Amino acid sequence: MPDRAARRYDVIVVGGGHNGLVNAAYLARAGRRVLVLERRHVLGGAAVTEEVYPGFQYSVCSYVVSLLRPEIIRDLELASYGLEILPLESTFTPMANGDYLVRWADHDQTRRELYRHSPRDAEAYDLFGRLMYKMAFAVKPILQMVPPDPTSFSPRDLLGLSRLGKHFAGLEREEFAALYKLMTMSAADYLDEWFETEVLKSTMSASGIIGTFLGPRSPGTAYVLLHHYMGEIDGAFRAWGFARGGTGSVSMAIARAAESHGVEIRTEAPVERILAEGGRATGVVLENGDEIRAPVVVSALDPKLTFLKLVDSADLPEDFMSALRRFKIRGSSGKVNLALDGLPDFRSLPGVGPHLRGAMSISPSIDYLERAYDDAKYGEFSRQPYMDIVIPSMIDPAMAPPGKHVMSIFVQYAPYALNGGWNDARREEFGDTVIDTLAEHAPNIRDIILHRQVLTPADMETEFGLTEGNIFHGELSLHQLFFLRPTPAWADYRSPIRGLYQCGSGTHPGGGITGAPGRLAAQAILRDRNR
Amino acid sequence: MSGAYDAVVIGAGHNGLVAAAYLARAGRSVLVVERRDVIGGATATEEFHPGFRADVGPHRMHGLHPSVIGELELTTHGLLVRRPDPSIVALLANGSHLALRTGVGATQDEIAKFSHRDAARWPEFVSRMAAFADFLAGLYEQAPPVVPPGSRGEKLQLLKLAARARRQGKDQLPELLRTIPMSAAELLGDWFESDVLQGTLAARAVSGLSQGPMAAGTAFHLLHALAASGERVGMTLVPEGGMGSLAKALARAAEARGAEIRTSQAVDRIAINDGAVEGVVLADGSHIQSATVLSNADPRHTMLELLEPDCLTPDFRHAVRNIRLRGVCARVQLAIGELPVFRGLSADGSRLHGCISISPSVEYLERACDDAKYGCVSEAPYLEAVIPSLRDPSLAPPGRHVMSVFVQYAPYELKDGSWDDRTRATLARNVVETLSEYAPNLATAVEASSVVTPADYESVFGMSGGDPQHGEMTLDQALFMRPVPGWAGYRLPPRGLYLCGAGAHPGGGVTGIPGRNAARAVLQRPHGGDPA
Repeated sequence: MPDRAARRYDVIVVGGGHNGLVNAAYLARAGRRVLVLERRHVLGGAAVTEEVYPGFQYSVCSYVVSLLRPEIIRDLELASYGLEILPLESTFTPMANGDYLVRWADHDQTRRELYRHSPRDAEAYDLFGRLMYKMAFAVKPILQMVPPDPTSFSPRDLLGLSRLGKHFAGLEREEFAALYKLMTMSAADYLDEWFETEVLKSTMSASGIIGTFLGPRSPGTAYVLLHHYMGEIDGAFRAWGFARGGTGSVSMAIARAAESHGVEIRTEAPVERILAEGGRATGVVLENGDEIRAPVVVSALDPKLTFLKLVDSADLPEDFMSALRRFKIRGSSGKVNLALDGLPDFRSLPGVGPHLRGAMSISPSIDYLERAYDDAKYGEFSRQPYMDIVIPSMIDPAMAPPGKHVMSIFVQYAPYALNGGWNDARREEFGDTVIDTLAEHAPNIRDIILHRQVLTPADMETEFGLTEGNIFHGELSLHQLFFLRPTPAWADYRSPIRGLYQCGSGTHPGGGITGAPGRLAAQAILRDRNR
Repeated sequence: MSGAYDAVVIGAGHNGLVAAAYLARAGRSVLVVERRDVIGGATATEEFHPGFRADVGPHRMHGLHPSVIGELELTTHGLLVRRPDPSIVALLANGSHLALRTGVGATQDEIAKFSHRDAARWPEFVSRMAAFADFLAGLYEQAPPVVPPGSRGEKLQLLKLAARARRQGKDQLPELLRTIPMSAAELLGDWFESDVLQGTLAARAVSGLSQGPMAAGTAFHLLHALAASGERVGMTLVPEGGMGSLAKALARAAEARGAEIRTSQAVDRIAINDGAVEGVVLADGSHIQSATVLSNADPRHTMLELLEPDCLTPDFRHAVRNIRLRGVCARVQLAIGELPVFRGLSADGSRLHGCISISPSVEYLERACDDAKYGCVSEAPYLEAVIPSLRDPSLAPPGRHVMSVFVQYAPYELKDGSWDDRTRATLARNVVETLSEYAPNLATAVEASSVVTPADYESVFGMSGGDPQHGEMTLDQALFMRPVPGWAGYRLPPRGLYLCGAGAHPGGGVTGIPGRNAARAVLQRPHGGDPA
């Protein structure tokens, strides 16, 4: 390319979330001159730590690191840029009858605890774990590949399809059936085949509904059960963990790694429009009117925001637009962050114990979760919501002043399309519902709250640019995965505009702090260098 | 010992009769044994009140597969399939209604009363769904592909399927793959804006499922019904004279070819020796010898009740126990002294020859399902009513009528107690009250009622869990997973035992395809032996 010396950037990445930063780092590592533009004053997108209340560090939005790909940690040497994952070792579920269930990191301890509830389940739990472990291996290659287009005759797609076919053909028949069941069943039905303890099933199924607009009895919620086991096979760390310094420090580590490869990062640089001429991306225009040109533009934003807001629709074919409009991106969750003067005291397991160092799950029964979903289906937030609670300061004391704590509460369901719409009053009502629900299990919570931050799906849209407040940039339902994510024919990180790519969670393999979309998009871009 | 047959079919449901007819047609000696004193299984038209007869199971067919009708020459044996017009009339509380007609253009005119945009999209929707269904129908012609494939033949079958899928092309294939796992609510929301149109199509999608229309995979069930029948979306097919006449035509077709049918003969168990079928043992202790047995009973009953436990491995029994059979439908039959006069519809009943549907919106159906999730009968249920006596006056005394109402959701397992006279009466009252809101004269017109609950479907018709589909038609229980993974080819573990009912591929609905495919599987393996 003759004009390369004259231009400043080869690539502009729109959005400094973790996927945008991963993408930028990989491209820079391959020698590209990359500029990252972030609308907010902090990097990280939804993976961000902010001192919203003096002295207290909130992982405002995303709160646990689940499946950050080990190859990314390795390739970008994130450990040397300050990334430290602290394991989240237990899940504690208080029950309505005053009992509780805890699953610990320690296998024998969990087994003893399960045995207390059901000897049969204690036995089944090991078998289940072994099957999930196998299943994790079965899906791993899929998470690491650029989805091939099943209708295409291009050599690259055909190769991908044949690899995929060989992979599945290599599975045992029982394994394939188990995998198919995981992909198509509801979490509740799937777990019913294995376990009898209600609170175990409900807590496990809760991981299947996070970020979806589905209840635990809806088909398609079972496969997220695998997530818990994905981390284990990577050997990097256990399934879930915190980043020391909060989730934002994941983003900061990636940003530093990117900068070490020469990436230029600008914050408070909101992009107003992505430019295209003759079907080719040419750069971006910032809200302040500045025009920055580059032959490659990568959007880390969700597909709806990217293509329906930032790109001139005249540049896009109609079938692509209609596919995007049909893309389901209903937000279903909220977030409550608390600064605490002390620790919650759970009725069912009083005092300060190791259970406060892990996740606390308000998921006493499948019916409880299902009823929470019922409310949301008809446009209300759950009167008794599912909550996934962590106290990061228990593991990383620097998150709060001495003796004080921060608590992160992920809440579901809170529909974006609330009847009558979200406003300040409804937000506080939602926050009150969350505290009331928690207080049923830990009555002292009301007395120790120093500060409360409530985020509704509407807030997530305005604050973080997540369309409809969907934390995964699009629902992770079966018909929006793999070569259908975000739209058929454009699941390979490319777009109808040459030189415009997508690298956010709206692309394969989807949401969560995995970095995988950012990395796979970089691969696709680098492969296209001669286009 | 009471004679030997080439094949014994357990159960004279429609699939059992179809299987028997195909086997007899190929020259096999076949005996069908039926526990009840009438044939047809759930496809039966019976007297529920002196002088009044109505269908007890389904009141419409998914549509017997055209090849079944042709190959068994059912028309000459008296089967006459009608397509009433309108096929569905969906009633609304405000007195208006949506009619789905047999003609696409006529339906467009009706839809236009609710939404011009929807009316404009209707023809494309119809042809899209037909194309998707056509693809599925190809899978229904034979046993589903084995995945992952083992033998060369299995590999070939799968490659053929892949090639067929790719031939669908860039427009069609991704849309097909996207549609199958969707919820009916999502699919219909993508196409239409009218609540009653969405609701009425969604009702057909969830009919017989314990799921609501917002549950993923319910779009597949909509396509399933179309694939089995080759019919257009929203059509109603009924045999002249009720479902019982379908069973009669099938029985005649089977008997004409030499099959023998015995009623009031309950099978106690399937006799197995050294891993192979020897015949069946009847409840009266008598043995019937045969090296091939086809069971039209549901898979759970077949494998857990009719087989000795040691015939199956523990893993296999576990898989069978995990088949979800969750009956959620009931039927209320009403003997009525006069035709109901629905608000907004003419009193002569001219528009009531098809189905009358209470399905005003997707949300209505979803709320109906919510009740069932927690073990309650829907307070405001999805109803699909027919008045068969309009066409066939012999079903009721002169001047009077029968109205037969399909009710969903009425769960098999009730949270508060079980199905008894009180819960039945409540259900009947609820149905009459609901319909009376649309036809005020109905409440006083009702002379008698009879209720068939999921518990009855189990105790009277032998359907485990009261599930007429013999296993819920969800994606995880379809195709190569039906009835259990690895055994979707109609053959069951003991040599010579086959499943020929709705619990086998391609599943529920009055289609006859499982019976036909099972018979073909038997014929491919002469005398029930293993293939060489």
